[in-house]
Amino acid sequence: MSEKKNIDRLFQEKFKDFEVAPNDAIWNRINESLPNNEKKKRRVIPIWWQIAGVAASVVLLLNIGFSFFNSEENSSDTPVIVNTETENNSDTKKNENSTLDASNDRTKSSEELNNTSLVESDIHQNNEDKNTDSNDALTNTSSQPFNNSTKTLGLLTEDNSTNQTSKTLKSSVNELINGESTPKNTVAASDNTQSTEKTKNDLSSNEFINSELKKAIENNSSTVTEITNKGDNIKENSTIINEQKEVSTIEKEKESIESAIAENNNDDIIEKEKDDEPNRWSITPNVAPVYFASLGEGSPIHNQFNTNSKGSDINMSYGITGSYAISDRIKVRAGVNRVNLNYTTSGVYAFSGSDIIVASSDNASQSSQSQGNITLREGANVALMSSKVMNRASAPEVFNTKLTGDLDQRFGFIEIPLEIEYKLLDKKFGLNVVGGFSTFFLNENEIFADIDGTSTLIGEANNINNTSFSANFGLGLNYNVTKKWNINLEPQFKYQINTFNNTFGNFRPFFIGLYTGIIYKF
Amino acid sequence: MSLEQLIKKCIKQDAKAQSQLYKQYASKLFSLCLKYCSNYAEAEDVLHDAFITVFSKIDQYKNKGSFEGWLKRIAINTALQRYRDDVGVYDIINEGNIEDVSVDLNDDELSLDFLLGIIQELPNRYRLVFNLYVLDGYSHVEISELINISTGTSKSNLARARLILKEKIESYKASLNSQSL
Repeated sequence: MSEKKNIDRLFQEKFKDFEVAPNDAIWNRINESLPNNEKKKRRVIPIWWQIAGVAASVVLLLNIGFSFFNSEENSSDTPVIVNTETENNSDTKKNENSTLDASNDRTKSSEELNNTSLVESDIHQNNEDKNTDSNDALTNTSSQPFNNSTKTLGLLTEDNSTNQTSKTLKSSVNELINGESTPKNTVAASDNTQSTEKTKNDLSSNEFINSELKKAIENNSSTVTEITNKGDNIKENSTIINEQKEVSTIEKEKESIESAIAENNNDDIIEKEKDDEPNRWSITPNVAPVYFASLGEGSPIHNQFNTNSKGSDINMSYGITGSYAISDRIKVRAGVNRVNLNYTTSGVYAFSGSDIIVASSDNASQSSQSQGNITLREGANVALMSSKVMNRASAPEVFNTKLTGDLDQRFGFIEIPLEIEYKLLDKKFGLNVVGGFSTFFLNENEIFADIDGTSTLIGEANNINNTSFSANFGLGLNYNVTKKWNINLEPQFKYQINTFNNTFGNFRPFFIGLYTGIIYKF
Repeated sequence: MSLEQLIKKCIKQDAKAQSQLYKQYASKLFSLCLKYCSNYAEAEDVLHDAFITVFSKIDQYKNKGSFEGWLKRIAINTALQRYRDDVGVYDIINEGNIEDVSVDLNDDELSLDFLLGIIQELPNRYRLVFNLYVLDGYSHVEISELINISTGTSKSNLARARLILKEKIESYKASLNSQSL
């Protein structure tokens, strides 16, 4: 078929559905030249995980430590577990009661007595099953009292009228046994007492039951109580089982969390799908009371003060931190804090002016170094001496009139923390561990001494580095007020690494702070 | 996964989503590249560059107009960039010749490969203009802006392209006829 055709139409028609699949190699090339491709991500994450793992284990150790010290709290914790159990029980109890009612109804109708006798045979079968099932130690022990109880109940069957009740009892026992035999309803055993009570109530209200029956029940009340006692035993057993179950469920949860973490690493795409939250960035203004101390006994000023008692006021740190969530659980954060610290050495004699001549003449060798790491202010002429070093008997008279005072060293820094935060718990209440380091830039450095009862600026320390570092550990508690706003409380321990150049004794400084902040996510 | 979700994830540089997006549109865009380029290898290069642009600028797609159209525009632009600066000597022909460029043909005789081949053989600018005007529905004004030529040049390029294509088709048919004789 030949036709005259406009060339445009020819091409338009021919190329209308024109599609050609390109070579697969093209995609590989594209993928390689894409920024942020998956390979890079995967390379980064394991490093964070390792760090997070270390941080998590530190927290774990801390928790264990705390639990040692707070054993009382632990004991008060256990009732809480029991409470949850009883809640669980009450749930299953409801179910049990309803099934029990059903069985009672069944036994009420005389037509279905056959059925109950079938149930009876079921009981025996069940018992036999249990006896043969020697593997399960728990069911064995629990099934024995049941056998006994069915026997005692069997005595009741002599009377026709009591026949029904015994069957109801049996059926209730049957319920118990069934409950025992199916692992899901282990709690059902704890129901024994309730069910027997219930049957009692049912009996008293039952029209079919005459006074004879009541007597019989009264006569057999001892056996009933026996059953209740046994029931109690079983209850105990079942609570043990419950506890075991709970432990196992907790372990399962742990496992599932761990596996979730592992999965998170493998297919973070799926994770991202789940959380549609774009709030990766957050900003946190914070304030913290901080307390400075040393791990060992020593002095940053002079070795004569090594054994003096020292302390710190509660100072304040305030700053702002920005953080970025690189994954669901891990945040990196950086910030700027202004932190003021002080360190007070007590029991220090400070001499100035004329006193100094006397003091230095007596303790010439000492006073020549008495300033230690202090660069005295211009015009200040001060000598310092520890009350511990001085021998009062041989000391010049001037010392007797002197009072010991404090040597107060104040220093402030601009702190740049760089930390990683790992979420342990991400609910309404969040829990996370923090690890990282800070860089400190010295911006305040003063030393005050009590001279004649007044605190006087005498100079500054010459052994504080302008730039220093600290290793930081913290435990953060978050409360999600809204999606965007959180309240944050974070105790942190900061071990200072090279703050002081030349210290005396075993002076290992650190400070702790309780960082409180408001997190705004965006 | 809906297209919207896919785009969102691509904005987040999600590697799997990027791969899926590529799979979904690679064939369509590659056919486009083949038409605009002078050979297969260049078409591959353009496809590569186009997707790099797509993934880096996907956040600029504002859900206005079809996404496919947006992708195609990027691919076309990538191809144009490659050939736009190509300085060739092009004949300016009388516009009067433009009309009625038609060929006698039997549809079945002309394979897609052949037609693609003769498009690719066209001088660069002729090929671009022909593709833009005939196959992708751009007007001469749009074309003049896109490749920085006057509308007159665009029209004359188009006419020239049509003529070349017509000649090639006719000579091809002649060769077929001579073979069959």
